[in-house]
Amino acid sequence: MAIRSLDAFARMSIGRAFASGVGLVAGGFLILLVLVAIFAPWIAPFDYAAQNLMNANAAPGWPHLLGTDEFGRDVLSRVIHGARTSLSVSATAIAISMTAGMTLGAAAGYFGGFFERAVMTVVDLTWSFPDILIALIFVAIIGPGLTSTTFAIAIAYLAQFTRLTRAQIVRLKRETFIEATINLGAKPSHILLRHLMPNAIAPVIVVGMLAIGDGIVLEATLGFFGLGAQPPTPSWGAMMSSGTAQLFLSPWVIIFPGVAVAITVIAVNLFGDELIRALDIRDRLRGA
Amino acid sequence: MLNVRDLGVAFGVVQPLSGVSFSVSQGETLGIVGESGSGKSLTAMSVMGLLPLIGGRITDGSIEFDGADITALPERAYRKLRGGKIGLITQNPMTSLDPLKKIGPQVDDVAKLHLGLSNADARARTIDILGTLRIPEPALICDRYPHQMSGGMKQRIVIAMALAADPDLLIADEPTTALDVTVQAQIIRLLDDLVKERNLALVLITHDMSVVAQTCDKIVVMYAGRAVEQGPVEEIFDRPRHPYTQALIACIPRGLDDATRLTGIAGTVPTVLNYPKGCPFHPRCPKAEAICATDAPDFSVVGESAAACHFAEVAHAEPA
Amino acid sequence: MPNLLEVRDLSKRFTSAGGPFRKARSMHAVNGVSFDLASGRVIGVVGESGCGKSTLARLILRLIEPSGGRVNFDGDDLLAKTSAEMRKLRARMQMVFQDPYSAIDPRYTLSRAVAEPFEVQGVKPARPMADEVAELLEMVGLNPGLSTSYPHQISGGQKQRVGIARALALRPSLLVLDEPTASLDVSVQAQIIGLLEDLRADLGLTYLFISHDLSLVKYFCDEILVMYLGRVVEALPDTKAPARHPYTKTLMESTFEPDPKKRRLIAPLEGEVPSPFDLPPGCAFADRCPQASALCRTETPELSSKTGHAVACHHPL
Repeated sequence: MAIRSLDAFARMSIGRAFASGVGLVAGGFLILLVLVAIFAPWIAPFDYAAQNLMNANAAPGWPHLLGTDEFGRDVLSRVIHGARTSLSVSATAIAISMTAGMTLGAAAGYFGGFFERAVMTVVDLTWSFPDILIALIFVAIIGPGLTSTTFAIAIAYLAQFTRLTRAQIVRLKRETFIEATINLGAKPSHILLRHLMPNAIAPVIVVGMLAIGDGIVLEATLGFFGLGAQPPTPSWGAMMSSGTAQLFLSPWVIIFPGVAVAITVIAVNLFGDELIRALDIRDRLRGA
Repeated sequence: MLNVRDLGVAFGVVQPLSGVSFSVSQGETLGIVGESGSGKSLTAMSVMGLLPLIGGRITDGSIEFDGADITALPERAYRKLRGGKIGLITQNPMTSLDPLKKIGPQVDDVAKLHLGLSNADARARTIDILGTLRIPEPALICDRYPHQMSGGMKQRIVIAMALAADPDLLIADEPTTALDVTVQAQIIRLLDDLVKERNLALVLITHDMSVVAQTCDKIVVMYAGRAVEQGPVEEIFDRPRHPYTQALIACIPRGLDDATRLTGIAGTVPTVLNYPKGCPFHPRCPKAEAICATDAPDFSVVGESAAACHFAEVAHAEPA
Repeated sequence: MPNLLEVRDLSKRFTSAGGPFRKARSMHAVNGVSFDLASGRVIGVVGESGCGKSTLARLILRLIEPSGGRVNFDGDDLLAKTSAEMRKLRARMQMVFQDPYSAIDPRYTLSRAVAEPFEVQGVKPARPMADEVAELLEMVGLNPGLSTSYPHQISGGQKQRVGIARALALRPSLLVLDEPTASLDVSVQAQIIGLLEDLRADLGLTYLFISHDLSLVKYFCDEILVMYLGRVVEALPDTKAPARHPYTKTLMESTFEPDPKKRRLIAPLEGEVPSPFDLPPGCAFADRCPQASALCRTETPELSSKTGHAVACHHPL
């Protein structure tokens, strides 16, 4: 029942976010991007890993619309498959981060006391480490690759979700309807799951949405440094990294994945802003 | 002193106030009474020339103060009047007081601005006014900050600021709503004394019929942006002619001796966005007939009181 | 009539921890309050802001843990109950809150809000839930057609009716009303008070009515407790009893008569309710009292009732 009413709310708000011109363009682009990522194998004109050294560093043209890289691989196909990597890594990482952050934040905010202080201290500690350093720790433990990247991004955003959720819960706990429901004889689990969480979730989801954009940048950064996706897996960051060697010879190898990152992040942020407006939660985000 | 005629106010296409007329002279207290959304505060803002600030404008009627038409006074001239000849007392003293400034300078500033007094003269005047408001140790109070004072004391400071430039007209918008009963009694008594001692004209805006009964000479009862009944206070309480006024008086809880049961008024108070057509009270009115839903009633005048009801005469004949 | 509620020496002390730049402070929000509420009666608790009346309501329902004292509800010692037992008991003692605007979860439809008490208590009504909800809404004067509305779509008075419907869903015997009309318009206040009177008669409810409005309390209640700074200073056995405590007298005189012909010159009491922190010894009202003596400033008067009309004053009127 909780989920159903949430859906009604979410549907209404997302509809409103699409209502403005900016929201429509940004949101439309994001939907397109997700479709591209899902159907990458069918959309990409070439095999992203197929090398053709005879045709290396070809300029954009026909049949390689965005040119080829130093191994003669089709840049367009790699950008399309890169969307798959970037989006799935970022989205998975943020989903993990959000779930953990919401659980920790809700428990801290609801129970308070020593438990709250302990959780918040540990979480704040993770926030004080630079993202790259966290990534390096994971690389050191489990080796470079998308798993390390995913965990690094998840840890990097954990504090944000925990703090935001906690702030929402602490604010909501003071509302009369919570006292009224306690007075009906409700158990803590009922208060938390049926009242506090459903009311706290909207800003957390919006921040999560915005964090996916940041996660893509972080994934690209880690990929650029060779800590993320390993060859031949295409990732926007790793493509830019390999492109630096031929920066002047074949700039398209670095430009197109870079443009993909930039447009995606801008679209995520613009749409996130529209969502914040549609949900009318700007004040609630400021508190955290 | 103040003469408001057929006042109408609009925000864009919304018309939250129309056809409000009243006058108040020196030494007289006029009560404007109504529930939330009745337009009583908006009436005060119109008189204070504050409508442009909140995006409203006067579309009909006129406001005359001290013989001069101030309906379309430019902001610069209004600024002289506001806080000068017209003093304002708001519901929440915290919105009128600067939390970062000591009490003394806040009251001084009014006299310096409007009366051109020097620092020393303004302070002497401030201490004098605080004294007349029965504030103990006024010189010490001048060095306090608003947060160091109780709610009732803050409201007195707001009254002191309203009085600092020696106004002829005071507008008090729910001056005691945020206060405890014993403090409300103090403030109402204070305002009463001020009207008598300084020969002020006071417009008291309130939702509380008991406060009106105890302090006002004349009242205007407002509902949904219209004045529905007005006249001398005894007249209105003894022989209310508008069904809304009758119902409002019946809503006041009294001791058991009256043995009248409270039932309230059926339905809900309309908001600006759903003001009813015709007579604004007709959806909740026990006496409403077909005409009430279509035609807005004109005022029918009996003696000094006027009621905007198609059946006001009938209502008058029956004991309320 | 047997007593539904017996409150003995109920107290709540709040302390704020000291720190390097602050002194530790404590206040007695509620201090030694005792009274009996007979089944079917209405007791009004009246006082100004900060007198502890809302805290008292929450202590009785154990929404706040008392620091001392006893609460007996229908023969059960509430403070001895475990939290699971307490949750079960709450079905029989409900509360209507001051602020109807935040008393319903904004994400709940009215029908879900009104059905929630059953869900929470694990009670399955004999009839289909939709019928039960419709009847509850009708009982509080709401159109059952509103059941699919959200709280933001209805007015303050309607929200307060929903609050009452929720409180009544499990057929409690005690209803604590914490300023149920303080944030409503006059015409709506009268509606709600009328409704509460009807419900009391129909369902045989017992009310504890908390209010700052003495005329409302006089209209609505059988007995009146007057509170000042955490203590009951006077217990009026009926609403016509004359004030014996100087504070009650002040309160009565500060209340305006809604009649211009009964206009009288109010000689208001000077001063305001002092800060409840670190109160001096003696009667808390002594500083504002016109007849305070040296005794009043040293010794706190106990609430004593020789005639059934209890008053805590060394020099009662």
